Amino acid sequence: MNTQLQFRVLYRQFLFRLMDVEWLSASARGDASGLLGQFGSLLIFGSVGLSWAAIAVGDEARRAATVAPVWAAERFMVSLTMLVVGVFALLNWDSTFPDRADVLVLAPLPVRGRALLAAKIAAAASALGLTVAALNSLAGFAWPMALAPAGSGLVGTLRFVAAFWITLVAAGAFPYCAVLGVQAAAAQLPRRWYLRASSVLQIAAFIVFLGVTLFQPSLNTAAALGAPENQRTLSWLPSYWFTGLLSELSGAFSAEAHAVMAPLAWRAVLSLAAAILVAGGAFLLSYFRTLRKIVEEPDVVPGSRGGIWLPRFGNSPQTALTQFAIRTLLRSRQHRAILAFYLGAGFAIVAVYLDGARDMMHLTWMDIVGRVNGLMLVATLLILCASWLGTRTVFSLPLDLRANWLFRVTPAPGGAASLAAARRALLALSVFPVVAASAALLLWFWPWKPAAEHLLILGLLGSLLTDISLRGFRKIPFTCSYLPGKSKVHMVFWFGIVPAVMVIHKLGGLEQRAMASPRNYWEIILILGAGALAARMVTNMSANRSQPEIQYEESASDELILLGLNG
Amino acid sequence: MTLELRNVSKRFPGILAVDNVSFQARAGEITGYLGPNGSGKSTTMKMITGLIETTAGEVFFDGRPIRGDLLAFKQRMGYVPEEPYLYSHLSGLEYLIMVGQLRDLPAKPTAGRIDGLLRLLSLHSDRHVPISSYSKGMRQKVLLSAALLHNPDLLLLDEPFSGLDVATSLVLRGLIQELATRGKVVLFSSHELDTVERVCSHVVILHRGQVVADDSIGRLRTLMSLPTLEEIFSQLAVEQDTAAVSREIADLIRG
Repeated sequence: MNTQLQFRVLYRQFLFRLMDVEWLSASARGDASGLLGQFGSLLIFGSVGLSWAAIAVGDEARRAATVAPVWAAERFMVSLTMLVVGVFALLNWDSTFPDRADVLVLAPLPVRGRALLAAKIAAAASALGLTVAALNSLAGFAWPMALAPAGSGLVGTLRFVAAFWITLVAAGAFPYCAVLGVQAAAAQLPRRWYLRASSVLQIAAFIVFLGVTLFQPSLNTAAALGAPENQRTLSWLPSYWFTGLLSELSGAFSAEAHAVMAPLAWRAVLSLAAAILVAGGAFLLSYFRTLRKIVEEPDVVPGSRGGIWLPRFGNSPQTALTQFAIRTLLRSRQHRAILAFYLGAGFAIVAVYLDGARDMMHLTWMDIVGRVNGLMLVATLLILCASWLGTRTVFSLPLDLRANWLFRVTPAPGGAASLAAARRALLALSVFPVVAASAALLLWFWPWKPAAEHLLILGLLGSLLTDISLRGFRKIPFTCSYLPGKSKVHMVFWFGIVPAVMVIHKLGGLEQRAMASPRNYWEIILILGAGALAARMVTNMSANRSQPEIQYEESASDELILLGLNG
Repeated sequence: MTLELRNVSKRFPGILAVDNVSFQARAGEITGYLGPNGSGKSTTMKMITGLIETTAGEVFFDGRPIRGDLLAFKQRMGYVPEEPYLYSHLSGLEYLIMVGQLRDLPAKPTAGRIDGLLRLLSLHSDRHVPISSYSKGMRQKVLLSAALLHNPDLLLLDEPFSGLDVATSLVLRGLIQELATRGKVVLFSSHELDTVERVCSHVVILHRGQVVADDSIGRLRTLMSLPTLEEIFSQLAVEQDTAAVSREIADLIRG
């Protein structure tokens, strides 16, 4: 039996299965390269952005003539890599262990368990490596060259580049092994409980990764890093350990720097070794037990006793479509993960925005949250936009195309009726939670009047965005196939992120000024209300004018003509 | 009430899947729709349901072309597809409620009907469990319940016995006969010729996309002087010498 051949065959299968080709439209002809291209281009675009930042930070570091900006920048890159890898590990949670189909197909075959295990790990590690490499494709060279101390020379710069890459790989391996270890520990539970715990653990880990990345304190001087009162904090912040490792590997700084960085570097090495050992051991232990459990125990989370109650959303068919969309998003791990990515990006922007403003204006967090101010207005508007955009994006990604026959053989309503259902689902899933959470926060800290005024604006803006984004939408959410390249919403998101933040910042300022004058405030309400109403009318008219049939298959737009010359 | 196909054809790129098919399925009788794999049975079923369009010809129900008002036709049709694809993140109960809502059925009586169907088909205790954990037979029961929920005039059953246990198969067989006696049009596609012979009064046999027989089983037996439907089917639609193929396979794997 050729184990190497088995490994190669399985490795290829598992690697390509990380991208779900069943989502794709028939026009894509089962080719996931477009989807991979989009994902790769996003990462490379991110890398270009980071490279630009490297140039700016390098200039600042040279002017400052201290190590503080350099250490801050290094820690930023380490934190970013740890966050990306951590989120990647969480998104690939399902592909770490073989699924039920894998086991049922492979178990009757004479496949060695170690070939299966090695292929799974190798596939996940390859995808992870490619992700990190794409993200750092330019930045991995721009940053070390920008941050290398003046007068390092060619050898010194090359050493810095090597140290930078070694550190990033090590920093990426740490959260990956940590996630693997947690997953392996959870896999000791009965399979049904493991599946239930998985969702909770993923969300908890996501919050930890994001929270640590965004809210870790800035300690960028030797004095701060060496201060006894900070040692307890530093012992909980891995990004500082790996920044220490980078500093030690590059050997670029003074004896004073070495004194504070060496213990951090040791902590990085020891914790990485411990993470690898613990994760590897626990994973091996749980892997073969899991294979048996997958076959023996149902692959399903236990159902809730009485089901989940949802309100009615219009007439019966509209209620059916809206409830279907809500249940799908609540239960589909893949769709939730993508939405979490957008929400995570939104929270990251808010945190950077608030943190920057806090530093500039010398405010405390209580000043920001506890008093009526423009910063909180902008923060809630940004979260609303992230929630709306993420939810609208996942609406376009199908759940199970083969099950769509149901909607085709029942008289599911098309035109404005199905549009109304999609609108209600989008409002319920994206706008309502943000308005509700904002209400809880603002009404707790603020007087009721400004809080209520802002909530009204949030609601109207949510309604306006919802209708704008549903113009020409002839689908039931989660049921239409996906054609890579057709929807450009992610590209618009990344390219438009900075202008959008600037516009929302202006809007927040405008709203704050308007709240001081009832006349101005009601003018804004009138404009927003009229805009939302107009958008709804235009969207409804467009739905009634276009074909009332629901679209289940995404097709290439008319301007794209495939000649098919290659036969 | 009659389902009628007039000169219906379906062409996919490079293949004529259904070629000029015409037949009638009348109320009060169960029409068996038979054919070997790839003969075009499921394609015909999908054209009748409106899942795919015909390339030529027309499907009529109750004397009217279904394309004239497809939504009204769908309201009167129940369909059990060949493959039990369901939204597996929903529970059996949620799925049936959704079907009822999509069909715009009144909520209260439908809830009672769903409850009754789940009890009678022994799914009640698993009604809150996600369909992803259902066995093939349980999924088939959900499909059957969904097809019956609105008391359809036309029932299209594509391999409805697939995965069902013996008791449920017997219930389904009796149910199909009962529904036919109550004036429903039943078109029933299956490879289980014994069942078809017991249940159907009338059969349409398809071979390479064309109708090769359309008559009552009794008349076919008399006309072809063959005692069973299996032998009639073998003569009309099976080209291979099945015994020879079996021998060849056994020889082939021996090496």
